[in-house]
Amino acid sequence: MRAALRIGAALTPTPRRASRARMTRTRPPFLDGLIASLPIAMGYFPIAFSFGVAATQAGFTGLEAFALSLLIYAGASQFLALALLSSGAPVLVSAFTLIAMNLRHVLYGPALMREAGAGQSKRHAWAWAWGLTDEVFGQALGALARGQRFSEGYMFGLGLGAYASWLSGTLVGAVAGGGALEGWPAVSAGLGFMLPALFLALLLSILSRRQLPVVAVAGAVTVAVTLAISATSGILLGMLAGAVAGLVRR
Amino acid sequence: MNLDLLTVALLAGAANWAFRALPILARTDRLATVGWLERFLSATGPAAIATLFVAAVLPSLSLDLPRLLPLAAGTLAVLALWVLRRSVVLATLGGAVAHGLTVWLLG
Repeated sequence: MRAALRIGAALTPTPRRASRARMTRTRPPFLDGLIASLPIAMGYFPIAFSFGVAATQAGFTGLEAFALSLLIYAGASQFLALALLSSGAPVLVSAFTLIAMNLRHVLYGPALMREAGAGQSKRHAWAWAWGLTDEVFGQALGALARGQRFSEGYMFGLGLGAYASWLSGTLVGAVAGGGALEGWPAVSAGLGFMLPALFLALLLSILSRRQLPVVAVAGAVTVAVTLAISATSGILLGMLAGAVAGLVRR
Repeated sequence: MNLDLLTVALLAGAANWAFRALPILARTDRLATVGWLERFLSATGPAAIATLFVAAVLPSLSLDLPRLLPLAAGTLAVLALWVLRRSVVLATLGGAVAHGLTVWLLG
């Protein structure tokens, strides 16, 4: 990360400095992104693994489980897809339910590009944005908050590491079937805590005094709506309430 | 391959791509110069991450000690490592190790 910061600081418009930056660059942004994806990949693998197991237990083939991960690439939606499809829910009802679950992703791109600053290249966004999951968005935002420059290569590396972990976890889970981690409850629990730990660490990395009310409102609304309605509504409304709280001038 | 499954996956996947990519490809950076929208978008990140953390730990929040203690140990480890090292990777891995170790100690 420090190397990336140095690179970022050196990349100014003057040719001489740009050339020096190329010489001193120790790691390409893609590799930086790939390395930054490690905690996400470690958190994704066991979840995707349990998805692969659940899919085969619900009567789907390994190929079908893999297709769901490849084409949808959204954890909670995929588990819900299993429940809907195996219960015989109509195709359009199932599809629209899954689509509604991921509506929050609409906010991620503009929030990320706003943090990246004006004039950043978005030429390949049609490709790297596919990997803009909750965790990838959080990690990218955290990197920008720590002073790293936005780069499409970094986004590709970050997204690819997470996506590869998700796909391989699904495949291994579908092939291995249930019981693979049953003998290792502590390992399973530790891996299961990887994503909450990542969210907390990311939150700490971008937290500022100005954003404290935003965080408090988002947390409180998430708890209230989850308890009153559902976890999906809690996430969507919590996020919106927090963002709306950010409108208040202080 | 189940045709219904493929149809649902393709429709949901296409919507996911649209949600993630289209707002970036659209020139939202021009809109972001509007004051209220800029404040809204800059609050979206912290709000999203706070929401996801709360949603992830909420099911473990109970008076049942075997569920609560690992969560407390993991959370404290993340906080401590962040204060000491300011590293997201280290804090994340340390939190997961503390959580797993507590589960192991509790048997």
